[in-house]
Amino acid sequence: MSKISPVTGHYVTVDVDGLEYKVFYLENGQGQPLVCQHTAGAHNHQWRGLLEDPEITANYRVIAYDLPRHGKSDPPENTQWWTEEYQLSADHYANFIIALVDALELVDPIFMGSSFGGNIALQLAHRFPERFDAVIPVEGADYSPGFYLDWWQHPHANAAQVCASGTWDLMAPQSPEADRWKTWFYYSQGSEAFKGDLYFYSVDHDLRGKLGEIDTDKCAVVLMTGDYDYLTTPEDSARTASQIRNGEFIEMKDIGHFPMSENYPVFKGYLVQALDLIRTKTSARV
Amino acid sequence: MTVATRAPSVDAWVQSFTEANNQDPEIQAHGKYFTCSYLLDMEAHTFVVRVVSGTIAQISVDPGPIDVPYQFAIRASAHTWGEFGKPVPAPMYHGIWAATFQRDMKLEGDVLVLMQNLRCLTRQIELLRSTGAPV
Repeated sequence: MSKISPVTGHYVTVDVDGLEYKVFYLENGQGQPLVCQHTAGAHNHQWRGLLEDPEITANYRVIAYDLPRHGKSDPPENTQWWTEEYQLSADHYANFIIALVDALELVDPIFMGSSFGGNIALQLAHRFPERFDAVIPVEGADYSPGFYLDWWQHPHANAAQVCASGTWDLMAPQSPEADRWKTWFYYSQGSEAFKGDLYFYSVDHDLRGKLGEIDTDKCAVVLMTGDYDYLTTPEDSARTASQIRNGEFIEMKDIGHFPMSENYPVFKGYLVQALDLIRTKTSARV
Repeated sequence: MTVATRAPSVDAWVQSFTEANNQDPEIQAHGKYFTCSYLLDMEAHTFVVRVVSGTIAQISVDPGPIDVPYQFAIRASAHTWGEFGKPVPAPMYHGIWAATFQRDMKLEGDVLVLMQNLRCLTRQIELLRSTGAPV
């Protein structure tokens, strides 16, 4: 008997900031769209556990896309991208996600992203609160310097292994070895994009002093961070949440910077809390 | 492999760490070019670990000044290394990147050589979780 997953893959063309992308996304489920962003230098398989979770997909349409230059989403179709250094800006990243939401005709989605996806979640809540019911920044903070490093692409070292093993310590030793190695494997595939992604993560993203401007009446914000994350620590995310009006923070125990990928069962317990919080907040709006 | 419950003696650790490395399936599968020498500064003791093609050829204990050459150094307090030597380390003691970003660990010298050997070196340092740290 064949074992065919209910998860399906599609491509959608997205035009944004003069660039044309063919974007690959995986989806499963019905209900409110839950749009999921992978971490820097990775791809949408980090959300494999969530995509096949019948308890979540019974009520949410889970959509996990590959950001352009990652996984099966190619670089722009209409530029000589190889003649320029890739440096992801907050402007383009945020505009891209809005264009993707438009292209898929999503109504009142929840946006969830981890690491540089968590940071863009905060940017989206700040820039476009009317476009999202809520955002869930995972391993996100107002500011996260220190990871825009030349080591990720140094020509004298094995970039695949430096990226994969350089992010290994971001995971908790308690997380299942097989899932940590899958996450390592994804990181061995993305070194060309990783550094450019981190330009956003560590350089261009800076919401210090601006968090109070987020309109949480329109877009709820629930942050979640693992205690083994040395890059964006629970203290960083708690500080960030405390500066957002009605911002929420959930500390996740015994898990790290790639929670959905390194240990989905533990992550899920916290995600259910976050979704319940969001449901309470959004139902109180009416 | 037994799990250390307290700090092993230096001599016992040199033997168990060498054996753990030389019998480790991952390092032996991927360590063909894992060749380097590095200093482990554990405050109470220092060691120069010389690795050749994934095999620990020698661990020099408390070498004298300019006695044993090495390419890079991993330095931290005895407390930090003691935490590394626990079977399940607490947050920020679970790897050299974590302890360098958030605790007192320093990566010094020719860090390029460290990066060139990062995959196997990461695994090698994690062997402390089974051997314990000798400080």
